[in-house]
Amino acid sequence: MKRAIELKVNGEMYPVSVSADRTLLDVIREDLLLTGTKKGCEAGECGACTVLMDGKPVNSCMVLVMDAVGREIVTIEGVGGLEGLHPIQEALVEHGAVQCGYCTPGIVMTAKALLDNQPNPTEREIREALAGNLCRCTGYVKIVEAVLAVSQALSQGRRG
Amino acid sequence: MQSFNYYEPATVWEAIGLLESLKGNVFSLAGGTDLMRTLKKTGFTDYGVLNLKRIPELGGIEFDGQVMSVGALTTVSTLAAHPEVNRHFPALAQAARALGTPQIRNLATIGGNLGTASPASDLAPALLVYQARLNLLGPDGARVMAINEFFKGPGQTGLAPGEIITRIDLTVPAAGTVGAFLKHGVRKSHEIALVNTAVLLVPLRASAAIAEARIALGAVGPTVFRATQAEEQLAGAEGGPVSFERAARAAQEMTSPISDVRAGNDYRKHMAGVLVKRALLQAWGGTI
Repeated sequence: MKRAIELKVNGEMYPVSVSADRTLLDVIREDLLLTGTKKGCEAGECGACTVLMDGKPVNSCMVLVMDAVGREIVTIEGVGGLEGLHPIQEALVEHGAVQCGYCTPGIVMTAKALLDNQPNPTEREIREALAGNLCRCTGYVKIVEAVLAVSQALSQGRRG
Repeated sequence: MQSFNYYEPATVWEAIGLLESLKGNVFSLAGGTDLMRTLKKTGFTDYGVLNLKRIPELGGIEFDGQVMSVGALTTVSTLAAHPEVNRHFPALAQAARALGTPQIRNLATIGGNLGTASPASDLAPALLVYQARLNLLGPDGARVMAINEFFKGPGQTGLAPGEIITRIDLTVPAAGTVGAFLKHGVRKSHEIALVNTAVLLVPLRASAAIAEARIALGAVGPTVFRATQAEEQLAGAEGGPVSFERAARAAQEMTSPISDVRAGNDYRKHMAGVLVKRALLQAWGGTI
């Protein structure tokens, strides 16, 4: 049985018809065709499918799509835009923190949630926040450096 | 593919009615971080899912200064960040911060963690030392179960058919009580405990002696459990490395860990003792 629901993704309402056994991840990718959110382990471990739900990072592979009704979902397509990259994306590029790139959308979403709530995190806090995002290229040092750099740049911008 | 039965009750009584009429052929969904994995493995067809997340009575934290009532759907990240949880139940806040990853903590719930009854639960040892009371609701009405009666085996609980956990009640310990939670794993985070422990020490007024000790261990037996023999060792004893070492050995004796891909039973047993002593020292040195 399919159910007609509406999902709010990146500020837009999407009417979709779904069966209740589908995950938020699958509907985002296959129905909304927002394929920036990646499918990795499908077991809540790798963080490649991280999206923000009401501002908090979650594994979209662990969320039934029915649970996303009435919530604000933000995917990687809702970060940055036509005017350019988000500062976190720019910093990842500048620091060479993107290797194969598969983990990058999830990293950006988690880092965004961190910096939205805590603009000046310590390196340790950044590492703890990113603990649920695996990079199989193992480029963690550059990823942490990039997030630290963007937090410092943002706080200098605020002071200036 | 057979059709998948999905239910989204709006009240606890609607949920109980559905559980009764479906006679067990349904999974209760709280945070879903364990259940979604099970459903993906077994397929969604054989059982239905009863999603509890739209029931307001199962959420929220209420605190009157003495008793804290935690809704079963409270997420682990909410517990970890809650100022009164950190102030009055620090071992529970520490356990919440040690569980899974940030993404999992934003989904996983205290009620789901208890209902899953993993022997390696991070929240359960802390809830054991704070002597949590579980409010259950089922076809026969409401009842309260002490947490030390709840766990029956790996994945096995004292929940009767059709029963759900609605709220978890915690009473603020006596003034001066100290507590700690420690988890040992191969990684610093994103880890299932090889062994974990929560300890709580109530000092005798104005002395270096311990009036009461509570010690719980996880991942070193079929269920999370209280190390009562270690607790008895400490009652009336002076707090310090000597008595803590003795208690740690007694706790170690009560463990019955398995060997699996993550660690051998001998290593788990050894680390159980190490971790209990470390947690006792940390708690005794610190304050709430």
